[in-house]
Amino acid sequence: MQDISLHLLDIIENSVRAEARRIKVRVKANVQKNLLRVIVEDDGVGMDAYTVQQAQDPFYTSKLERIKKVGLGIPLFKQNAELSNGSFKMASEPGFGTVLTVDFQLDHIDRMPLGNLKDTLLGVIIGHPEVDFYICLIYSERGKEQSFHLDTAAIKEELGDIPLTYPDVIEYIDQSLNEGIQNTNMEDV
Amino acid sequence: MKKLADLKKIREKAQEEMKLRGSNVRIKIVVGMGTSGIAMGAREVMKTFLEEIANRNLTDVIVTQTGEKGLSSMEPVVDLIEEGKAKVTYGNMTPEKVKKVVVEHIVNGRVVCDYVVATGE
Repeated sequence: MQDISLHLLDIIENSVRAEARRIKVRVKANVQKNLLRVIVEDDGVGMDAYTVQQAQDPFYTSKLERIKKVGLGIPLFKQNAELSNGSFKMASEPGFGTVLTVDFQLDHIDRMPLGNLKDTLLGVIIGHPEVDFYICLIYSERGKEQSFHLDTAAIKEELGDIPLTYPDVIEYIDQSLNEGIQNTNMEDV
Repeated sequence: MKKLADLKKIREKAQEEMKLRGSNVRIKIVVGMGTSGIAMGAREVMKTFLEEIANRNLTDVIVTQTGEKGLSSMEPVVDLIEEGKAKVTYGNMTPEKVKKVVVEHIVNGRVVCDYVVATGE
């Protein structure tokens, strides 16, 4: 993976496979604290303490061995966070869901760029119409805070039976995300 | 700034269209979005499908994402599922190939045999 937004996409797909109905994605950049934090919270099936440990092992996968033998998504994300003086925390409870908190030192020379957040978010929102996404981006610098919130449940309610893949809807979500990402300076983080 | 009220207009327009030509989904596109797919550029593939749908105003097509299913050496992998027809799986996809599949397969109904890696089910 070349950037954080690709890892984020990978991790969100995990939540979807865990049958999440609602996924909260938060990205916070705090210049004073020198911290870039990504939080993904889902209400999926969750994992017990043993599985949480196992999931961080590259040779563990929840799929049949006939299909694949490794599970690199989580271990690679963890490695990249730790390489930039950050941390990777996974908390989960069977039946309730999973929360993933990944920290990066904002100005660390080895920190991967945030990357194209818009493509990741647009893809998951439209590619999983059955899941509601709550997106929150916060950028703070010298006490000033800029934030962006998007709740796809509100969009779907407004649309009724019109699918998210309807051309004008794709453009609407695309532009909303673009504006939000620009307003919170998340393009070049 | 985009407002929720803008969606009301979109909904009205879409509902008018559906009255005219029905709300059938003709083709379902499924983009494989597992770890290996993402590493090989599946996100760009997904994005290109969404762009093409918006640009060509394709209202009877839907796109979804799914996990890995054992074709890692041919990622990015895309399934095209058309009612009453065998599923077609395209492999080693790129944004350029996506554009060709949209024109040939989705718009003109001709399978792009060169990119097909599996069919059936």
